[in-house]
Amino acid sequence: MEALKKLGILLFGLMVSAGIVLTFTAPNAKSFQNPELARIVFYHLPCAILSAILMTIAPYFGIRLLKTQKQIWDLRMTAAMELATLLGALTLITGIIFSKVQWGAWWNWDPRQSSYLMVMLMAMAFFAIRASLEGEKRSQYSSTYLMAMLLPIIFLIFIYPRLSVVQSLHPDVIKYGGFDREYTITLYTMFALIGGVVWWLYKLRVRVGLLEIEKDNPDAKLANRDHSATPRVVRPVPLSKPR
Amino acid sequence: MTLTALFAILRKEFRVEFRSRSGFFAAGLFAVMAVFAISAASFNSKLPGNLASGLVWVSLLFGSVIAVPRRFLQEEELRTADLLRLSAHPNAVYWGKTLFAIAETIAYGTVVSVLFFLLTSAKLVDPGLYCLGVLGTSICMGSVISLCGAIASQSANRTALASAISLPLIVPIVFMGIACLRVSMGEGLIPGGWRSGYGLVGYGIASLAIGPYLFAAVWKR
Repeated sequence: MEALKKLGILLFGLMVSAGIVLTFTAPNAKSFQNPELARIVFYHLPCAILSAILMTIAPYFGIRLLKTQKQIWDLRMTAAMELATLLGALTLITGIIFSKVQWGAWWNWDPRQSSYLMVMLMAMAFFAIRASLEGEKRSQYSSTYLMAMLLPIIFLIFIYPRLSVVQSLHPDVIKYGGFDREYTITLYTMFALIGGVVWWLYKLRVRVGLLEIEKDNPDAKLANRDHSATPRVVRPVPLSKPR
Repeated sequence: MTLTALFAILRKEFRVEFRSRSGFFAAGLFAVMAVFAISAASFNSKLPGNLASGLVWVSLLFGSVIAVPRRFLQEEELRTADLLRLSAHPNAVYWGKTLFAIAETIAYGTVVSVLFFLLTSAKLVDPGLYCLGVLGTSICMGSVISLCGAIASQSANRTALASAISLPLIVPIVFMGIACLRVSMGEGLIPGGWRSGYGLVGYGIASLAIGPYLFAAVWKR
């Protein structure tokens, strides 16, 4: 079992490396001003989509947290938001580079650029709430804020850039027939690989969070135990206090 | 929740405001100063609709962010929040305070608008659309900022945090609000302006519909 796991990790590492090589060897896309440097799209687009997915999933974890009051949901919510913010920052950075190369300026106040920046501000406000509160209030209040964020996030990511009155520099690739076949395959491959890395990081972050809780409060082990926990793990049971 | 409880909270809010006049002075002074500054800056020159709508909106936004969250922050500062928790249903507290916040924002918007059109050279082309824009903005900001005030009221640096967490949630309202006011001041197409106005009111109604559930999670301890 351990050997299989190691083999899986090795294979995944090889796949990520192959994916990175693929982004450099894929043929140039014709529709860009500087096709050679437009390859940053292979990283930009998956990061943006995954960040948006995580931002819309995190409020669900918030709802579960408020319903069940289990800290595991708080950990999942925080992990999702942390990764969404990280991916969002990567989207903005790669977008800024793309903007300079293709459109001639680092920042164009493009509707998609601006709306993504606003979403990042919301994510920062979420972390500001978490930093200013402690204990149960922290998880409860931040999850409430996250749910309040959902409506503006949906508006900013999915509705605002698509309004007919808004003119964006971002090319609507699907509308104009999509990329070349090789380009599309590379894009999907990168999407799957970055998605895999994000999933691994998410699991890791939740596990670290659980360990932190257990370190601070050993009795929390049983309360936070989730049905998805690995059956091989032997969890210590707290002994009853001596009379 | 009963309507009697809701109106009792609303009455209490009006009484507290008339007694202390803190929100009135804070927001009122901001409105007067903001409009005087705009008027001084645009002296002898015509304000285009694009710029005028943005300036009105900035005045509306910051005045509301100063005044509205105070309703919850004050309860914590005066240590009356627990009493309110014991005596009233969360929904009654939410609706009472939010309706007061909406009324306060409408009053503030009216003052800003009257002063703005009196003191600057900005022209109003469609008063109906302008009123819809201010009304929609008030509903949205009243509900969103009230909720943020309730969230921030438990933290140590509550006043700064309330404004900091309110502003990002207001962004969609900014886009629709400015689009609506801009058209009402003669820039852009009328149907687009009305669409933005309806969008604004719809957003406000959606915020009001979600608000009580979120507030109940924050308010109970």
